[in-house]
Amino acid sequence: MTEWVISLGGTKDVQLIIDGKRTDGRTLDELRAIRIEAGVIPEADGSSYIEWGNNKIVCGVYGPRECIPRHGASPYGATLKCRYMMSPFSSLEEHSRSGPSRRSNELSKVIREALENVLLLGKFPNTQIEIYIDVLQADGGTRTASLTAAAVALANAGIPMKDMVAAVAVGKASETLVVDLNKPEDNLGQSDMPIAMSHRDKNLLLVQMDGLLTKEEISKMLDMVEKSCDEIHEVQADALRRIYKTEQKEPFRW
Amino acid sequence: MEKRIILPGEKIAEGRINAANTFFDGKDTYATAIGTLDTTDRYMALESPYKPVVEDTVVGVITDVRHAGYEVDLNLPNSGFIPTRNVRITLQLGDFVLCKIKLVNEVGDVDLGEVRRLPIGKVLRYPPSKIPRLIGRKSSMIEVLKKYGNGDIMVGNNGYVWISEKNNMPIILKAIGMIKENAHRSGLTDEITNFLKHDGVGD
Repeated sequence: MTEWVISLGGTKDVQLIIDGKRTDGRTLDELRAIRIEAGVIPEADGSSYIEWGNNKIVCGVYGPRECIPRHGASPYGATLKCRYMMSPFSSLEEHSRSGPSRRSNELSKVIREALENVLLLGKFPNTQIEIYIDVLQADGGTRTASLTAAAVALANAGIPMKDMVAAVAVGKASETLVVDLNKPEDNLGQSDMPIAMSHRDKNLLLVQMDGLLTKEEISKMLDMVEKSCDEIHEVQADALRRIYKTEQKEPFRW
Repeated sequence: MEKRIILPGEKIAEGRINAANTFFDGKDTYATAIGTLDTTDRYMALESPYKPVVEDTVVGVITDVRHAGYEVDLNLPNSGFIPTRNVRITLQLGDFVLCKIKLVNEVGDVDLGEVRRLPIGKVLRYPPSKIPRLIGRKSSMIEVLKKYGNGDIMVGNNGYVWISEKNNMPIILKAIGMIKENAHRSGLTDEITNFLKHDGVGD
Protein backbone atom coordinates (compact mmCIF):
# COMPACT_ATOMS: atom_id res chain seq x y z
CA MET A 1 0.00 0.00 0.00
CA THR A 2 2.65 2.52 1.00
CA GLU A 3 4.96 1.62 -1.86
CA TRP A 4 3.09 3.48 -4.57
CA VAL A 5 2.79 6.55 -2.41
CA ILE A 6 6.57 6.84 -2.22
CA SER A 7 7.53 5.99 -5.78
CA LEU A 8 5.66 8.66 -7.72
CA GLY A 9 6.26 9.14 -11.45
CA GLY A 10 5.48 7.06 -14.51
CA THR A 11 6.91 3.60 -14.50
CA LYS A 12 6.35 0.39 -16.40
CA ASP A 13 7.48 -1.79 -13.52
CA VAL A 14 4.27 -1.57 -11.52
CA GLN A 15 1.63 -3.99 -12.74
CA LEU A 16 -1.58 -1.92 -12.71
CA ILE A 17 -3.68 -4.16 -14.91
CA ILE A 18 -3.97 -7.91 -14.47
CA ASP A 19 -6.27 -10.00 -16.72
CA GLY A 20 -8.07 -6.88 -17.96
CA LYS A 21 -8.93 -5.85 -14.40
CA ARG A 22 -7.64 -2.69 -12.74
CA THR A 23 -6.47 -2.05 -9.18
CA ASP A 24 -10.03 -1.55 -7.93
CA GLY A 25 -11.51 -4.38 -9.97
CA ARG A 26 -12.95 -2.26 -12.78
CA THR A 27 -12.74 -3.11 -16.47
CA LEU A 28 -10.81 -0.78 -18.78
CA ASP A 29 -13.68 1.51 -19.81
CA GLU A 30 -15.67 1.36 -16.59
CA LEU A 31 -16.30 4.49 -14.52
CA ARG A 32 -16.18 4.56 -10.74
CA ALA A 33 -19.56 4.77 -8.99
CA ILE A 34 -20.94 8.33 -9.28
CA ARG A 35 -23.59 9.85 -7.06
CA ILE A 36 -24.70 13.46 -7.46
CA GLU A 37 -27.10 15.48 -5.32
CA ALA A 38 -28.29 18.94 -6.35
CA GLY A 39 -29.50 21.74 -4.10
CA VAL A 40 -27.66 20.69 -0.92
CA ILE A 41 -26.85 24.23 0.34
CA PRO A 42 -30.09 26.08 1.11
CA GLU A 43 -28.46 29.53 1.31
CA ALA A 44 -26.69 29.22 -2.06
CA ASP A 45 -28.40 30.06 -5.36
CA GLY A 46 -27.33 26.68 -6.68
CA SER A 47 -25.32 23.82 -5.23
CA SER A 48 -24.32 20.24 -5.71
CA TYR A 49 -22.50 17.42 -3.99
CA ILE A 50 -20.69 14.68 -5.85
CA GLU A 51 -19.29 11.34 -4.76
CA TRP A 52 -17.15 9.95 -7.52
CA GLY A 53 -15.46 6.79 -6.29
CA ASN A 54 -13.62 8.03 -3.22
CA ASN A 55 -13.76 11.68 -4.28
CA LYS A 56 -16.15 13.81 -2.27
CA ILE A 57 -16.71 17.33 -3.50
CA VAL A 58 -19.22 20.02 -2.59
CA CYS A 59 -19.91 22.95 -4.90
CA GLY A 60 -21.88 26.17 -4.41
CA VAL A 61 -22.87 28.85 -6.90
CA TYR A 62 -23.73 32.43 -5.90
CA GLY A 63 -24.94 35.16 -8.19
CA PRO A 64 -25.33 37.03 -10.40
CA ARG A 65 -24.58 39.66 -7.79
CA GLU A 66 -22.67 42.91 -7.36
CA CYS A 67 -19.12 42.62 -8.67
CA ILE A 68 -16.50 43.11 -5.97
CA PRO A 69 -14.01 44.74 -6.49
CA ARG A 70 -15.95 47.20 -8.62
CA HIS A 71 -13.14 47.63 -11.17
CA GLY A 72 -13.40 43.92 -12.03
CA ALA A 73 -16.92 44.43 -13.43
CA SER A 74 -17.44 44.37 -17.17
CA PRO A 75 -20.30 46.13 -18.98
CA TYR A 76 -20.17 43.33 -21.58
CA GLY A 77 -21.17 40.55 -19.22
CA ALA A 78 -20.84 38.88 -15.88
CA THR A 79 -17.41 38.13 -14.45
CA LEU A 80 -17.09 34.44 -13.63
CA LYS A 81 -15.07 33.65 -10.54
CA CYS A 82 -14.12 30.15 -9.56
CA ARG A 83 -12.35 28.93 -6.45
CA TYR A 84 -11.24 25.31 -6.27
CA MET A 85 -9.89 24.31 -2.87
CA MET A 86 -8.58 21.07 -1.43
CA SER A 87 -9.23 20.60 2.25
CA PRO A 88 -6.13 20.01 4.39
CA PHE A 89 -7.50 16.59 5.35
CA SER A 90 -8.54 15.55 1.85
CA SER A 91 -5.79 13.10 0.96
CA LEU A 92 -2.69 11.22 2.10
CA GLU A 93 -0.40 13.84 0.62
CA GLU A 94 0.54 17.01 2.41
CA HIS A 95 -1.97 19.79 1.75
CA SER A 96 -1.17 21.82 4.87
CA ARG A 97 -3.24 24.98 5.06
CA SER A 98 -6.11 25.32 2.65
CA GLY A 99 -5.62 28.41 0.60
CA PRO A 100 -4.43 29.46 -2.80
CA SER A 101 -1.56 27.35 -4.06
CA ARG A 102 -0.02 26.76 -7.47
CA ARG A 103 -2.20 23.70 -7.97
CA SER A 104 -5.50 25.16 -6.82
CA ASN A 105 -4.93 28.35 -8.84
CA GLU A 106 -4.41 26.28 -11.96
CA LEU A 107 -7.48 24.15 -11.39
CA SER A 108 -9.66 27.17 -10.62
CA LYS A 109 -8.51 28.69 -13.88
CA VAL A 110 -9.12 25.66 -16.09
CA ILE A 111 -12.56 25.03 -14.57
CA ARG A 112 -13.53 28.68 -15.02
CA GLU A 113 -12.36 28.76 -18.63
CA ALA A 114 -14.17 25.52 -19.48
CA LEU A 115 -17.44 26.88 -18.08
CA GLU A 116 -17.10 30.33 -19.69
CA ASN A 117 -17.64 28.59 -23.02
CA VAL A 118 -21.14 27.37 -22.20
CA LEU A 119 -22.48 30.13 -19.93
CA LEU A 120 -24.39 33.05 -21.44
CA LEU A 121 -22.61 35.65 -19.31
CA GLY A 122 -23.58 38.54 -21.60
CA LYS A 123 -27.06 38.59 -20.06
CA PHE A 124 -25.77 39.97 -16.74
CA PRO A 125 -23.56 43.03 -17.28
CA ASN A 126 -21.61 44.51 -14.34
CA THR A 127 -22.15 41.48 -12.11
CA GLN A 128 -20.20 38.49 -10.91
CA ILE A 129 -21.03 34.81 -10.63
CA GLU A 130 -19.04 32.87 -8.07
CA ILE A 131 -18.39 29.14 -8.01
CA TYR A 132 -16.93 27.66 -4.84
CA ILE A 133 -15.61 24.12 -5.07
CA ASP A 134 -14.42 22.36 -1.92
CA VAL A 135 -12.74 18.97 -2.15
CA LEU A 136 -13.48 17.08 1.05
CA GLN A 137 -11.84 13.84 0.01
CA ALA A 138 -9.54 13.31 -2.96
CA ASP A 139 -8.62 10.14 -4.81
CA GLY A 140 -7.48 11.14 -8.29
CA GLY A 141 -9.56 13.00 -10.87
CA THR A 142 -10.82 15.85 -8.70
CA ARG A 143 -10.70 18.41 -11.52
CA THR A 144 -13.04 16.38 -13.68
CA ALA A 145 -15.34 15.61 -10.76
CA SER A 146 -15.33 19.31 -9.76
CA LEU A 147 -16.25 20.40 -13.26
CA THR A 148 -19.07 17.84 -13.39
CA ALA A 149 -20.39 19.07 -10.04
CA ALA A 150 -20.02 22.75 -11.02
CA ALA A 151 -22.17 22.20 -14.13
CA VAL A 152 -24.93 20.70 -11.97
CA ALA A 153 -24.72 23.56 -9.46
CA LEU A 154 -24.93 26.17 -12.25
CA ALA A 155 -27.98 24.47 -13.75
CA ASN A 156 -29.50 24.32 -10.27
CA ALA A 157 -28.90 28.08 -9.88
CA GLY A 158 -30.66 28.75 -13.18
CA ILE A 159 -27.69 30.55 -14.71
CA PRO A 160 -28.41 30.46 -18.46
CA MET A 161 -26.12 27.98 -20.19
CA LYS A 162 -26.03 26.64 -23.73
CA ASP A 163 -25.01 23.17 -22.71
CA MET A 164 -24.30 20.78 -19.86
CA VAL A 165 -20.67 19.86 -19.25
CA ALA A 166 -19.31 16.49 -18.18
CA ALA A 167 -15.66 15.68 -17.65
CA VAL A 168 -13.60 12.51 -17.29
CA ALA A 169 -9.94 11.57 -17.40
CA VAL A 170 -8.47 9.02 -19.78
CA GLY A 171 -4.93 7.75 -19.67
CA LYS A 172 -2.45 4.99 -20.17
CA ALA A 173 -1.46 2.61 -17.42
CA SER A 174 0.74 -0.45 -18.01
CA GLU A 175 0.59 0.18 -21.80
CA THR A 176 -3.22 0.01 -21.80
CA LEU A 177 -5.76 2.78 -22.37
CA VAL A 178 -8.07 3.26 -19.39
CA VAL A 179 -10.97 5.60 -18.54
CA ASP A 180 -11.39 7.46 -15.24
CA LEU A 181 -8.01 7.00 -13.59
CA ASN A 182 -7.83 6.53 -9.87
CA LYS A 183 -4.96 7.58 -7.62
CA PRO A 184 -2.53 4.63 -8.26
CA GLU A 185 -3.11 4.80 -12.02
CA ASP A 186 -2.67 8.56 -12.01
CA ASN A 187 0.60 8.43 -10.07
CA LEU A 188 2.16 5.27 -11.50
CA GLY A 189 0.63 5.17 -14.97
CA GLN A 190 2.33 6.50 -18.09
CA SER A 191 -0.12 9.17 -19.14
CA ASP A 192 -3.16 11.05 -17.90
CA MET A 193 -5.47 13.27 -19.94
CA PRO A 194 -8.45 15.00 -18.27
CA ILE A 195 -11.07 16.01 -20.83
CA ALA A 196 -14.27 18.06 -20.48
CA MET A 197 -16.91 17.78 -23.15
CA SER A 198 -20.18 19.60 -23.73
CA HIS A 199 -23.13 17.25 -24.08
CA ARG A 200 -25.09 18.67 -27.02
CA ASP A 201 -22.43 19.55 -29.58
CA LYS A 202 -19.56 17.47 -28.15
CA ASN A 203 -17.14 20.37 -27.98
CA LEU A 204 -13.89 19.85 -26.10
CA LEU A 205 -13.79 22.43 -23.32
CA LEU A 206 -10.74 21.19 -21.43
CA VAL A 207 -7.84 19.05 -22.53
CA GLN A 208 -4.76 18.67 -20.37
CA MET A 209 -2.12 15.98 -20.67
CA ASP A 210 0.58 14.44 -18.52
CA GLY A 211 3.05 12.00 -20.07
CA LEU A 212 3.25 10.94 -23.69
CA LEU A 213 0.63 9.62 -26.10
CA THR A 214 0.57 8.92 -29.83
CA LYS A 215 -1.90 10.43 -32.31
CA GLU A 216 -3.73 7.11 -32.70
CA GLU A 217 -4.05 6.66 -28.96
CA ILE A 218 -5.55 10.15 -28.55
CA SER A 219 -8.18 9.61 -31.24
CA LYS A 220 -9.08 6.29 -29.62
CA MET A 221 -9.30 8.00 -26.23
CA LEU A 222 -11.64 10.71 -27.52
CA ASP A 223 -14.15 8.03 -28.52
CA MET A 224 -13.88 6.50 -25.05
CA VAL A 225 -14.45 9.93 -23.47
CA GLU A 226 -17.54 10.61 -25.54
CA LYS A 227 -19.15 7.38 -24.36
CA SER A 228 -18.21 7.99 -20.72
CA CYS A 229 -19.39 11.63 -20.79
CA ASP A 230 -22.82 10.46 -21.96
CA GLU A 231 -22.95 8.12 -18.96
CA ILE A 232 -21.96 10.96 -16.62
CA HIS A 233 -24.54 13.25 -18.18
CA GLU A 234 -27.25 10.72 -17.34
CA VAL A 235 -26.25 10.91 -13.65
CA GLN A 236 -26.22 14.72 -13.78
CA ALA A 237 -29.64 14.82 -15.43
CA ASP A 238 -31.04 12.40 -12.87
CA ALA A 239 -29.75 14.56 -10.00
CA LEU A 240 -31.36 17.69 -11.44
CA ARG A 241 -34.67 15.99 -12.25
CA ARG A 242 -34.88 14.39 -8.80
CA ILE A 243 -35.42 17.80 -7.14
CA TYR A 244 -38.70 18.23 -8.99
CA LYS A 245 -40.10 14.76 -8.37
CA THR A 246 -43.72 14.78 -7.30
CA GLU A 247 -43.50 12.06 -4.69
CA GLN A 248 -42.00 12.59 -1.25
CA LYS A 249 -38.24 12.69 -1.48
CA GLU A 250 -35.75 11.36 1.02
CA PRO A 251 -33.90 14.01 2.99
CA PHE A 252 -30.32 14.56 1.87
CA ARG A 253 -27.59 12.76 3.80
CA TRP A 254 -23.89 13.51 3.52
CA MET B 1 -51.10 17.34 -17.10
CA GLU B 2 -47.95 15.57 -18.15
CA LYS B 3 -44.86 17.76 -17.86
CA ARG B 4 -41.36 16.82 -18.91
CA ILE B 5 -38.27 18.23 -17.20
CA ILE B 6 -35.93 19.92 -19.66
CA LEU B 7 -32.22 20.44 -18.98
CA PRO B 8 -30.01 23.22 -20.34
CA GLY B 9 -28.99 22.44 -23.92
CA GLU B 10 -31.99 20.23 -24.66
CA LYS B 11 -33.87 20.91 -27.87
CA ILE B 12 -37.35 22.33 -27.29
CA ALA B 13 -38.46 23.11 -30.84
CA GLU B 14 -37.49 22.84 -34.49
CA GLY B 15 -36.68 26.19 -36.02
CA ARG B 16 -36.91 29.44 -34.14
CA ILE B 17 -39.51 30.06 -31.45
CA ASN B 18 -39.87 33.10 -29.27
CA ALA B 19 -39.67 32.15 -25.61
CA ALA B 20 -37.79 33.29 -22.54
CA ASN B 21 -34.67 31.38 -21.45
CA THR B 22 -34.01 29.82 -24.85
CA PHE B 23 -31.41 30.31 -27.55
CA PHE B 24 -31.32 29.74 -31.28
CA ASP B 25 -28.25 28.15 -32.85
CA GLY B 26 -29.19 28.91 -36.49
CA LYS B 27 -31.28 25.75 -36.91
CA ASP B 28 -33.21 24.83 -33.76
CA THR B 29 -34.19 26.33 -30.42
CA TYR B 30 -32.66 25.02 -27.20
CA ALA B 31 -33.34 25.62 -23.50
CA THR B 32 -30.77 27.55 -21.44
CA ALA B 33 -32.18 26.74 -18.00
CA ILE B 34 -33.79 23.81 -16.26
CA GLY B 35 -37.51 23.96 -17.01
CA THR B 36 -40.65 22.09 -17.98
CA LEU B 37 -42.20 21.32 -21.35
CA ASP B 38 -45.95 20.68 -21.25
CA THR B 39 -48.18 18.88 -23.74
CA THR B 40 -48.61 22.01 -25.87
CA ASP B 41 -44.79 22.32 -26.18
CA ARG B 42 -44.71 25.43 -24.02
CA TYR B 43 -41.39 25.82 -22.23
CA MET B 44 -41.21 27.35 -18.74
CA ALA B 45 -37.98 27.82 -16.80
CA LEU B 46 -38.05 26.48 -13.24
CA GLU B 47 -34.99 28.40 -12.08
CA SER B 48 -33.84 31.75 -13.38
CA PRO B 49 -32.37 34.89 -11.84
CA TYR B 50 -34.73 37.88 -11.73
CA LYS B 51 -34.40 40.45 -14.52
CA PRO B 52 -36.06 43.79 -13.71
CA VAL B 53 -38.86 44.79 -16.09
CA VAL B 54 -40.64 48.17 -16.24
CA GLU B 55 -44.00 48.21 -14.38
CA ASP B 56 -43.04 45.31 -12.09
CA THR B 57 -44.04 45.68 -8.45
CA VAL B 58 -41.09 45.16 -6.13
CA VAL B 59 -40.45 45.05 -2.39
CA GLY B 60 -37.23 46.67 -1.20
CA VAL B 61 -35.27 47.83 1.81
CA ILE B 62 -33.83 51.39 2.05
CA THR B 63 -30.05 51.11 2.34
CA ASP B 64 -28.97 54.73 1.87
CA VAL B 65 -30.57 58.17 2.21
CA ARG B 66 -29.10 60.83 -0.03
CA HIS B 67 -30.03 64.31 -1.13
CA ALA B 68 -31.00 63.15 -4.60
CA GLY B 69 -33.05 60.19 -3.38
CA TYR B 70 -32.92 56.77 -1.75
CA GLU B 71 -30.89 53.66 -2.50
CA VAL B 72 -32.98 50.47 -2.27
CA ASP B 73 -31.86 46.86 -1.87
CA LEU B 74 -33.94 44.89 -4.38
CA ASN B 75 -32.27 41.45 -4.29
CA LEU B 76 -30.53 42.44 -7.52
CA PRO B 77 -26.83 42.82 -8.43
CA ASN B 78 -27.26 46.61 -8.44
CA SER B 79 -29.35 48.52 -5.90
CA GLY B 80 -32.42 50.42 -7.11
CA PHE B 81 -32.85 54.17 -6.78
CA ILE B 82 -35.86 56.31 -5.81
CA PRO B 83 -35.31 59.89 -7.08
CA THR B 84 -36.67 62.55 -4.68
CA ARG B 85 -39.14 63.80 -7.31
CA ASN B 86 -40.80 60.36 -7.41
CA VAL B 87 -41.61 60.25 -3.69
CA ARG B 88 -43.71 62.49 -1.46
CA ILE B 89 -43.09 60.80 1.91
CA THR B 90 -39.83 60.90 3.87
CA LEU B 91 -38.21 57.51 4.22
CA GLN B 92 -35.62 56.31 6.71
CA LEU B 93 -32.76 53.86 6.60
CA GLY B 94 -34.10 50.31 6.95
CA ASP B 95 -37.66 51.10 5.88
CA PHE B 96 -39.48 48.48 3.82
CA VAL B 97 -41.04 49.90 0.68
CA LEU B 98 -43.35 48.68 -2.06
CA CYS B 99 -42.71 50.40 -5.37
CA LYS B 100 -42.98 50.10 -9.15
CA ILE B 101 -40.09 49.95 -11.58
CA LYS B 102 -40.13 53.08 -13.75
CA LEU B 103 -36.92 52.71 -15.73
CA VAL B 104 -34.34 50.01 -16.44
CA ASN B 105 -31.23 50.71 -18.50
CA GLU B 106 -29.05 48.26 -20.42
CA VAL B 107 -26.63 47.56 -17.55
CA GLY B 108 -29.43 46.89 -15.07
CA ASP B 109 -29.70 50.17 -13.13
CA VAL B 110 -33.25 50.54 -11.81
CA ASP B 111 -35.28 53.72 -11.12
CA LEU B 112 -38.36 53.35 -8.92
CA GLY B 113 -41.59 55.27 -8.35
CA GLU B 114 -45.10 54.99 -6.81
CA VAL B 115 -43.51 54.38 -3.42
CA ARG B 116 -45.48 53.05 -0.45
CA ARG B 117 -43.93 52.52 2.94
CA LEU B 118 -44.73 49.14 4.49
CA PRO B 119 -45.34 48.82 8.27
CA ILE B 120 -43.12 46.77 10.57
CA GLY B 121 -42.81 43.17 9.48
CA LYS B 122 -40.40 40.68 8.04
CA VAL B 123 -38.88 40.52 4.56
CA LEU B 124 -38.09 37.06 3.18
CA ARG B 125 -35.91 36.12 0.24
CA TYR B 126 -37.82 33.84 -2.11
CA PRO B 127 -36.73 32.36 -5.48
CA PRO B 128 -38.03 34.87 -8.07
CA SER B 129 -38.85 32.13 -10.59
CA LYS B 130 -41.33 30.60 -8.11
CA ILE B 131 -43.14 33.88 -7.30
CA PRO B 132 -46.09 33.13 -9.65
CA ARG B 133 -46.89 30.01 -7.59
CA LEU B 134 -46.81 32.02 -4.35
CA ILE B 135 -49.37 34.44 -5.78
CA GLY B 136 -51.49 31.72 -7.41
CA ARG B 137 -54.05 31.99 -10.17
CA LYS B 138 -55.95 35.28 -9.71
CA SER B 139 -53.97 35.63 -6.43
CA SER B 140 -55.75 32.62 -4.89
CA MET B 141 -52.76 31.41 -2.90
CA ILE B 142 -51.95 34.79 -1.38
CA GLU B 143 -55.63 35.25 -0.41
CA VAL B 144 -55.52 31.94 1.46
CA LEU B 145 -52.34 32.98 3.29
CA LYS B 146 -53.82 36.35 4.21
CA LYS B 147 -57.07 34.78 5.43
CA TYR B 148 -55.49 32.21 7.72
CA GLY B 149 -52.55 34.37 8.82
CA ASN B 150 -54.82 37.28 9.82
CA GLY B 151 -52.43 39.81 8.34
CA ASP B 152 -51.10 41.43 5.24
CA ILE B 153 -48.54 39.96 2.83
CA MET B 154 -46.88 41.79 -0.06
CA VAL B 155 -45.08 39.88 -2.79
CA GLY B 156 -42.58 41.64 -5.01
CA ASN B 157 -41.63 40.28 -8.42
CA ASN B 158 -37.98 40.62 -7.36
CA GLY B 159 -38.28 37.77 -4.86
CA TYR B 160 -38.73 39.77 -1.67
CA VAL B 161 -41.84 38.90 0.32
CA TRP B 162 -42.97 41.24 3.08
CA ILE B 163 -45.04 39.71 5.89
CA SER B 164 -46.83 41.97 8.38
CA GLU B 165 -45.98 41.40 12.02
CA LYS B 166 -49.71 40.98 12.72
CA ASN B 167 -49.53 37.61 10.97
CA ASN B 168 -49.34 34.27 12.72
CA MET B 169 -45.67 34.21 11.78
CA PRO B 170 -44.55 30.57 12.41
CA ILE B 171 -47.50 29.09 10.52
CA ILE B 172 -47.18 31.51 7.59
CA LEU B 173 -43.43 30.92 7.31
CA LYS B 174 -44.01 27.17 7.30
CA ALA B 175 -46.70 27.48 4.62
CA ILE B 176 -44.44 29.65 2.45
CA GLY B 177 -41.66 27.09 2.90
CA MET B 178 -44.04 24.36 1.74
CA ILE B 179 -45.00 26.35 -1.37
CA LYS B 180 -41.31 26.86 -2.16
CA GLU B 181 -40.53 23.13 -1.82
CA ASN B 182 -43.47 22.05 -3.98
CA ALA B 183 -43.65 24.93 -6.46
CA HIS B 184 -43.69 22.57 -9.47
CA ARG B 185 -46.71 20.51 -8.27
CA SER B 186 -50.33 21.07 -9.23
CA GLY B 187 -53.23 21.42 -6.78
CA LEU B 188 -51.06 23.26 -4.29
CA THR B 189 -53.63 25.83 -3.12
CA ASP B 190 -55.92 23.11 -1.77
CA GLU B 191 -53.01 21.44 -0.02
CA ILE B 192 -51.96 24.69 1.66
CA THR B 193 -55.56 25.49 2.66
CA ASN B 194 -55.78 22.05 4.27
CA PHE B 195 -52.50 22.55 6.09
CA LEU B 196 -53.50 25.97 7.44
CA LYS B 197 -56.94 24.70 8.55
CA HIS B 198 -55.53 21.71 10.41
CA ASP B 199 -52.56 23.42 11.99
CA GLY B 200 -54.42 25.23 14.73
CA VAL B 201 -55.41 28.31 12.79
CA GLY B 202 -58.97 27.21 12.13
CA ASP B 203 -61.63 29.20 10.33
